Amino acid sequence: MLDSASLLPLIIALPLAGFLINGLVGLLSETYRSRKTLIGTIGTTAAFIPFLLSVWVFLGMTPDSDPIRYHFLNWISAGDFVSDIAWRADQISILWMLFVTGIGSLIHLYSMGYMKEDEGYWKFFAYLNLFVFAMLNLVMGDNLLLLFLGWEGVGVCSYLLIGFWYQDILKAEAAKKAFVYNRIGDFAFLIAMFLLFRHVGSIQFDAILAGLGNIPADTAFWIGLLMFIGATGKSAQIPLFVWLPDAMAGPTPVSALIHAATMVTSGIYLVSRMSGLYALTPDAMLIVAVIGALTALVAATIALTQTDIKRVLAYSTVSQLGYMFLALGSGAYIAAIFHVITHAFFKACLFLGSGSVIHAMHHVEHELDHHGKHVRFDPQDMRNMGGLKAHMPSTYWTFLLATVAIAGIPPLAGFFSKDEILAMVFNAGATVSAIYYVLFAMALATAFLTAFYMFRLTYGTFHGAFKLPKRHPEAAGSEKYLHESPWTMTAPLWILGILSVIGGFMGFPDFVVQTFGNPDAHANWLHGWLIPNVSEAELVLAKPIKWGILLGSVLIASVAVWLANRTYGQDKTAETDATLQTRFGGAYQLWADKYRVDEVYEATVADPVLKLSDKVLAVFDLKVVDGLVNAVAGLTRFTGSLLRYVQTGNVSGYAFYLVAGVLIVVGLILF
Amino acid sequence: METLLNLTIYLPLIGLLGILLVRSNETLVKWVSLVTTLATFALSVPLMLNFDAANGHQVQFLTEGGRFVFGLDIRYLVGLDGLSLLLFMLTTFMGPIVVLSAWDSVHKHAAGFFAMLMLLQTGSLGVFAALDAVLFYVFFELSLIPMYFLIGIWGGEGRIAATVKFFVYTLVGSLIMLVALIYVGYDAGVAVNEGVFTSDLRIWTGDAYAIPLAQQTALFLAFALAFCIKVPLFPFHTWLPFAHTEAPTAGSVVLAAIMLKMGTYGLIRFCLPMFPNASEAFAPMMATLAVIGIMYGALVAMVQKDVKKLVAYSSVSHLGFVVLGIFAMNVTAVQGAVIQNINHGLSTGALFLLVGMIYDRRHTRLIADFGGIASVMPKFAVLFMIATFSSIGLPGLNGFVGEFLILMGSFQSTVLSNIWFAVLGTTGVILAAVYMLWMVQRVFFGEVTNEENQVLTDLDTREVGLLLPVMILIVWIGIYPTLFTGYSESHIHHTLERSKAKGEQVAAAARTQTNPAWVATLYGLNDDLASK
Amino acid sequence: MDLTTELLHFLPAIITSLAGLAAMMFAAYQTDMRTVWAVSTGAVLLAFALSVRDLLGDEGVLFSGMVAYGGSAAFGSMVVLLGTFFTFLIARDYLEKIRHHYGEVYALMLFATTGMIVLASSTDLVSTFVGLETMSICLYVLAGLVKEEKRSIEAALKYFLLGAFSTGFFLYGIALLYGASGSTSLAVIGAVTQKGILYWAGVALLLTGFFFKISAVPFHMWTPDVYQGAPTPVTAYMATAAKTSAFVALILILARGLQGSVAGWAPVFEIIAMATMVVGNLIALAQHNIKRMLAYSSIAHAGYALVGLTAGTFAGYDGVLFYLFAYTLMNIGAFAVLGYYETSGNREIVNLEHVAGLGFQKPLMAVFLSVFLFSLAGMPPFAGFAGKYLVFAAAIEQGYLWLALIGVLTSAAAAFYYIRVMVYLYFREPEMDITLGEAPKLAMAAVALLAFLTLYFGVNPGSIVNLF
Repeated sequence: MLDSASLLPLIIALPLAGFLINGLVGLLSETYRSRKTLIGTIGTTAAFIPFLLSVWVFLGMTPDSDPIRYHFLNWISAGDFVSDIAWRADQISILWMLFVTGIGSLIHLYSMGYMKEDEGYWKFFAYLNLFVFAMLNLVMGDNLLLLFLGWEGVGVCSYLLIGFWYQDILKAEAAKKAFVYNRIGDFAFLIAMFLLFRHVGSIQFDAILAGLGNIPADTAFWIGLLMFIGATGKSAQIPLFVWLPDAMAGPTPVSALIHAATMVTSGIYLVSRMSGLYALTPDAMLIVAVIGALTALVAATIALTQTDIKRVLAYSTVSQLGYMFLALGSGAYIAAIFHVITHAFFKACLFLGSGSVIHAMHHVEHELDHHGKHVRFDPQDMRNMGGLKAHMPSTYWTFLLATVAIAGIPPLAGFFSKDEILAMVFNAGATVSAIYYVLFAMALATAFLTAFYMFRLTYGTFHGAFKLPKRHPEAAGSEKYLHESPWTMTAPLWILGILSVIGGFMGFPDFVVQTFGNPDAHANWLHGWLIPNVSEAELVLAKPIKWGILLGSVLIASVAVWLANRTYGQDKTAETDATLQTRFGGAYQLWADKYRVDEVYEATVADPVLKLSDKVLAVFDLKVVDGLVNAVAGLTRFTGSLLRYVQTGNVSGYAFYLVAGVLIVVGLILF
Repeated sequence: METLLNLTIYLPLIGLLGILLVRSNETLVKWVSLVTTLATFALSVPLMLNFDAANGHQVQFLTEGGRFVFGLDIRYLVGLDGLSLLLFMLTTFMGPIVVLSAWDSVHKHAAGFFAMLMLLQTGSLGVFAALDAVLFYVFFELSLIPMYFLIGIWGGEGRIAATVKFFVYTLVGSLIMLVALIYVGYDAGVAVNEGVFTSDLRIWTGDAYAIPLAQQTALFLAFALAFCIKVPLFPFHTWLPFAHTEAPTAGSVVLAAIMLKMGTYGLIRFCLPMFPNASEAFAPMMATLAVIGIMYGALVAMVQKDVKKLVAYSSVSHLGFVVLGIFAMNVTAVQGAVIQNINHGLSTGALFLLVGMIYDRRHTRLIADFGGIASVMPKFAVLFMIATFSSIGLPGLNGFVGEFLILMGSFQSTVLSNIWFAVLGTTGVILAAVYMLWMVQRVFFGEVTNEENQVLTDLDTREVGLLLPVMILIVWIGIYPTLFTGYSESHIHHTLERSKAKGEQVAAAARTQTNPAWVATLYGLNDDLASK
Repeated sequence: MDLTTELLHFLPAIITSLAGLAAMMFAAYQTDMRTVWAVSTGAVLLAFALSVRDLLGDEGVLFSGMVAYGGSAAFGSMVVLLGTFFTFLIARDYLEKIRHHYGEVYALMLFATTGMIVLASSTDLVSTFVGLETMSICLYVLAGLVKEEKRSIEAALKYFLLGAFSTGFFLYGIALLYGASGSTSLAVIGAVTQKGILYWAGVALLLTGFFFKISAVPFHMWTPDVYQGAPTPVTAYMATAAKTSAFVALILILARGLQGSVAGWAPVFEIIAMATMVVGNLIALAQHNIKRMLAYSSIAHAGYALVGLTAGTFAGYDGVLFYLFAYTLMNIGAFAVLGYYETSGNREIVNLEHVAGLGFQKPLMAVFLSVFLFSLAGMPPFAGFAGKYLVFAAAIEQGYLWLALIGVLTSAAAAFYYIRVMVYLYFREPEMDITLGEAPKLAMAAVALLAFLTLYFGVNPGSIVNLF
């Protein structure tokens, strides 16, 4: 039996090794860069072996087994502050380890096909491995500082990968934007860490848990709030969510891995880690919940109006993350983590599917070029698509499965997690505060919208006729160029598709079983796994209410799907969008303009600061601060040039001063 | 070991003579300087290895010479302790790198250039090794002369104004310090040295010698002024952007990596242990200036059009962190300041080296003239990225360690007793990301717009080779800083402990007699009495 | 002691005076001036050696207390002779170049030197006066050496008139002190107990006489014109040897005659010192003619020396003595290089603009000049720093913090005009095509030696200070 603890450093080290090999060798040798299969294999293995090891570690654990620890070295120590580089695997982190490495390796595999033609292939795999390395540090770190290292590390990787095609300045801009918005969150995170250390005297998780008692209530609120602000940066919540849609500038596998499945869920991880702290401060939790619900709704409405398939998915991600924070805010840590996992399955599947579509559209573009028809069109715009289902069946069916899953149709994954969240929010309404009922309503609305826009997307992309020829006459007959992607891409799609079907059963609601069978049966494995490790709110709802919520959510989802089918079903994407636009008028415009958040930030923060620095401070520095220095120097020299005029040159004048001097001296001595 | 230390300090002078001997042959000159600096570094390594970190608060490898002048206890005292060791090592480490950086870019009066570098090397090493205040002062000033010529002869367009300002501005500060220094010499002499003037730092900072509050105030201000100009701390920073921008690459590197550190070093070496009460009383003021420096430097850096100026202003911001750490006056923060000294030397040094390399190729430093460089110079881009991330304090690289400790420390500081210094200081991490990444984006990303940039050649072996050691240290300190902070830990611990004790003793003494009103208010003597 | 030993102790002065006579004889008959030069230089060197021996020996007074030997007196003579020696080294080629190489020059300088030695070792106001006049009269003539040069003549005349004027006050001061104490011997004057108006007025007038000779503000007016007008070696000679002897004489008077009434005269020194440092440095800032700039700088340096005297302690006097020594080295050095520039260029080099870029044309000379200038600016590790340090230290020890503060601030301003010379030498491109000829071997050697000494005594000031 292998000792799990000794595996942890290996799990961390392998992706790093992959990064170093592909990165350094690629940087140094031209020939290596062309060995794409080798590079891809190295990259994928570097993520896959850690997955197997994680599974091994997971198998060795039980719901109440102690955290597995590995102490690597004493990292920073000065005065009474100490922080180690030490990794832990416990019931929470192991889940992340599993799907980070698992989905990670799937996406590595997928990228081998997707990035085949890119000359930055080696760089891409190096970055992906680096990301996995950083993400693992984030979730395996045994103290807040190591978590923060991963936290910033994934930020850098996302920066590098969003700006992967840096020749396009807009993509580079998006990358910077992502990093800066994350930094704003990190600022709050750091302050939270300082506060925590001040009262607990350590940043090691167990020590924090033990020392929670020393934290005054109001301080707990501030720490909670600041950490949550940190989370809003990483997990794209109001007010810092604007970077995520732009982040779609990165290659699609990146969007799937970093900006849907893993990195953006770090915020949820952090809050669940700190669940003990949040238990101390209901106010903070309420704020978390409100922000979550708002984000969920706002993002959903925006998603409704987007025509870029990746942007639709991006806003959907923001919305789903909002759902998870709503859960956290309602004390439903398990539900939140449950949704993190199911979401990772179907959202990764959706993104990879969209990637496969974009791949195909690119191919069309190339082929047209090849045949001398230079048609320029946006390969991500669903208005150019339609009817792809005939040409790329695997992509279509997996995409459909994932869509059904996210829509919340039983018994697919999304349904269970979403339902548990809804129940817990309602529960909070009953136990904590009535405000949660409002949030519950918002959650239902979001559920409705989600199902609706997701089917809009599916219909627009895969059903009806291929619209490209309609919009670009010279592209007539281009549908013959459409083709399914290679197995390296479809295989991951199917795996994820299947997971989005069955994934939900890890959290099968107990009460369902209890209704039909043994009244105290426990079907909910995830619940059993996590309950000893998070301070979960107690679910007090009566069975009927639970059933009501369950059926209600199913009903809402079904209605939404039926509506979407009626409006968008028969190849009427454009028309329906138009009718919606007229129906909702101003509101729709607001959604289409993404609530003008970017513009507001530009006008209220970015521009003023820049102007201040440029027009005021920079000038102040030269004219005033430095001006004073020069003034002193100038004055000295000026006095000198004045004094020299005393030197008239005629003797009588000199004699006068001489006598004056004599008088002064005599005067000074005598009186 | 003592001999080794002295050898390390003066070897560059021997190298200087060597350079003068072969002055007509540029290649020889360069090789002589390279060998000299390499040898200097090689000699200094055993010092680090034999240094007893556990007793870092004690002077090691001490050389104790006789009196310079009859009747004055001014001695030749050199040695290393936990505070000076790291900076001493940094100086020897940067030596060869600086020489290599000038290898292909300096042809005008090469002999003079490298001779000045050698002189500068000895001067800087002397500053950090000197344990006699007057000796310290001599080296402190001596290092001005070569830098004056480096900027003035091999600098850019506005070099003359820049170098004269640099020289006179810093001189004003240090001359005022000289007066204070002499005063302390006599005062200490009367107090603890049988009335003989003494400038032995061990006596000055020792427990036996304490300075009354009123004098402390004036002396602290005099010393602090000199060091704050050198650091430079806002609002005494305006010489820096000019000096940095006009200086040749090697000059900027030494300036950033070593000379600025003399200021922060002086603050820890002199101000904290000698003027504990004044340091504490003025800590909020210093911290305020530091925080202003952090934010102000960053904001001004953001709108610079010249890459080098941008880096220069970023130095103002970074050194604001260091000063903040020093005046938080707890081990965590001061340790952070000590290591941040090194980090800033490495990251900003690297940035200046890199900017120099692109300047050698394009003869411009204007951000607007670049764009898309990454696709033409990948190696350059990678190294620049690492330096950038180090400078914006990315965890896992050196910059983070210092900044984090400083902020963490000053947040907990009982001396500052106000979290807002740390909170506002922390905004620096956001601003740093903004101005650095924005610059990187404009220089490296996007299409190559300017035709001249199409033909740029990537870094050659020499350039990569001279940057590599720096990069290695950047990562090394980022991952295993304890190895480095370990050297200064005990010294800082000791210093802060003793100065605290001394401060209380002085305050207690002050309470027994009547003080001027301003002293009572400044040092809160009244309210203490009230509380009694 | 018997007359012979006394004469032995007084040998330096005797030698210089005899050498002066010899030089005059030679000059009358001998056409080859180089022999004259050689003889004079040899004599000075011999005298110098003797004064060093005297310095290492014991102290005492000669000729029934008219002059002192050993100690600071010997040191004064030593510095004076050193100055004279180096002046001779640089004078020969310079004067040949400007075609005024007369033997009389050496004769006059030797007589002046004799006067200086007497002045710098006199312990009786009468001998002080004799020394002072012997020196001055020679200097008046030397100042007007270049009779074709209008400015030179004018300066000499001014010098003479004002000098005579101040000598009047000086003499009057002696008279009053005689009246107050009944003697001109410093020993007696030092013993005076009841100090009436007569005494104090005497002291005041006596001091003004010295203030004039050391060109302290506001008695400095003659200095710039004379220094600029006189041939450079002569300027160097006046700025160093003459000033040194006057200062040493002043020290002897203060230490032996007026030590008891420090409280009375210290304030005067304090104010005069401040004024001298401020005015000297500030006006120097505004100069473009390097020689004139150095003239003002020499005024400022007198101010720094006065800071040491203000302290009124032996530490202060010693500081001043070292300061004079250092100042002699670096100042003659600076003037030597200037003289070289003046005479060896294809056109006259007197202003800052002229030296632009010369630093790389004759690197060695420029390096030496830089050494002297940094030393004058008081930068370590040169002798100038040690000197400044010692005088300021003495003042601070006596609590003259403000004086020291003004001292350092003015020297910061001073640094500006010293380094500006190097700005032109090294940083600026040549504005007019100037080519320098080879430097005369002799001058070169002298400059090199001076530069070395400036550095040596900067690093190891103790080696000389400990002799006092």
